[in-house]
Amino acid sequence: MSMLELHDVTAGFGAVTVLHGVTMTVEPGEIAGVFGLNGAGKSVTLKTVAGLVPARSGQIVFDGVDVTRLDAETRVEMGLGHVPQGRQVFANLTVEENLRLGAYTLRRKQRSRYAAALDGVYDRFPVLRERRAQRAGTMSGGQQASLSVARALINEPRLVLVDEPSAGLSPKLQGDLRDILRVVKDSGVTMVLVEQNVAFGLSLVDSAHLLQTGTVVHSAPVGELDEETLATHLGIGRVLAGATGSALTARKAR
Amino acid sequence: MRGPGVIQVIALGLISAGIYALFALGVVLVYRGTKVLTFAGGEIGTAALYVTAFLVTDHGLSWGVGALIAVAVAAAAGALFEFALVRRSVDADPVVTSILTVALAATILAIELNHFGGSPKQLKPPVHGGVNVDGLIVSPVQIAAIVVAALLGFGLQAFLRRTDFGLAILAAADDPTATRLVGVRVSRVRMTLWAGSFALAAIAALLVEPTVGVISPGYASRLYLGGLAAAVIGGLDSLPGAVWGATVLGLVQAFVIRYLRVDVGGLDFDVTLVLLLVALLGRSLLPQLRRRLSPPREAVA
Repeated sequence: MSMLELHDVTAGFGAVTVLHGVTMTVEPGEIAGVFGLNGAGKSVTLKTVAGLVPARSGQIVFDGVDVTRLDAETRVEMGLGHVPQGRQVFANLTVEENLRLGAYTLRRKQRSRYAAALDGVYDRFPVLRERRAQRAGTMSGGQQASLSVARALINEPRLVLVDEPSAGLSPKLQGDLRDILRVVKDSGVTMVLVEQNVAFGLSLVDSAHLLQTGTVVHSAPVGELDEETLATHLGIGRVLAGATGSALTARKAR
Repeated sequence: MRGPGVIQVIALGLISAGIYALFALGVVLVYRGTKVLTFAGGEIGTAALYVTAFLVTDHGLSWGVGALIAVAVAAAAGALFEFALVRRSVDADPVVTSILTVALAATILAIELNHFGGSPKQLKPPVHGGVNVDGLIVSPVQIAAIVVAALLGFGLQAFLRRTDFGLAILAAADDPTATRLVGVRVSRVRMTLWAGSFALAAIAALLVEPTVGVISPGYASRLYLGGLAAAVIGGLDSLPGAVWGATVLGLVQAFVIRYLRVDVGGLDFDVTLVLLLVALLGRSLLPQLRRRLSPPREAVA
């Protein structure tokens, strides 16, 4: 059974339709990448899966359950996790308060599991244990990125939606974040990654879904992608295709 | 002739402070959670008194039961206001929602004037007698106002930091979408805040009314202005700050009225406005002043 299925999903705002029938499948344990140009509908796809933007038609199936009409909070309770764009941590709360809120539904369901979950996250991100009483907004960008990932993981999600993780990060921090997300993947969590930075995305994902004006025009395992397909569907020309090409080669070698 | 002594003046100040603090807590609660300044508390308080008078004076219920029902009605009104109006304007500027609260206050006032305008309503105090403080008889209700205000001010603060729901309130104020994405029903959080704020307004009005004993339209609005001022003096987003702000306002009013020796009606009102102005000016000028006064770091070394 697939972890996530989108069947001909349409969505938009007001009179504007952004998604014109998105169909894609994400398998358990993989990182699925959604790529596309600005305005292709990457972010809206993610928001529709999250439940923040309602699907107008079509069907969204999460781990075998039709969630199309369920609200965002229910989807979180069912095991959907989020690393929002811009690594939005709750800046005025401490690190530990951020994590406590991350475990909001876990604590409601089974408070006894929280202590172990917190320990697990602290073991994975020792810097967060050191800084647990610090206000999140005063930490460095990299530490905030760790916190936003940790906050998603502590709720023990089955699927995590990662929105533009590389945006606004320095190359060094992008590298750190890539390592963090790989660790998450190795622990068996399925992820959907939306990325503007195709080179960064390709270094992580197992499969790629190329989005163009609100529809998926190409889906393939990353091993079967080639520069030409990327250049054709993303229309990003030779220069960018050069960078993505080397990322692709590196990825295949891994 | 000797006027009231210092202890009596302080007692009078604290009695006002208790009432201001209760109103101020309602203001801060909503502001902290939604960045909306609410102006409806005064009329909500007055309306709660009419509900109590209806139940107690007209239908013979005990004061306690009537008051409890009135607070519940106020809380329900807050939840309904959030559900019916605030939620529809959730993407709007907080100022728009603030204006909605003004409209709500005006509507309630109009209803009060229409139904009870001609004849003030009576509501007997729940208990008689009182404690003698330096010659001033302080009623148990007035003491209750001070105690309840202090307990709520610091209790609510602890609630915000210690409970998951409290944290959700703080987080939702900063980033509602991210808060939804950890599974918090932000709409429920907001509804609770409005219900709590309106309930606090009702409690404040109920605790001040026995001092006067007669209810008329717009009765609690002037007191509510004191609550708004106290909230601003306390920094607007701090619950303990609201209690301190109310204490400052109550005491300054009492001392000015005692020692200025001018017989002007509404002097308390003037003091409120002056303090409000000072607080607002202070908020904008203090950071500048601090920058001017603190020498550059190099000079220190």
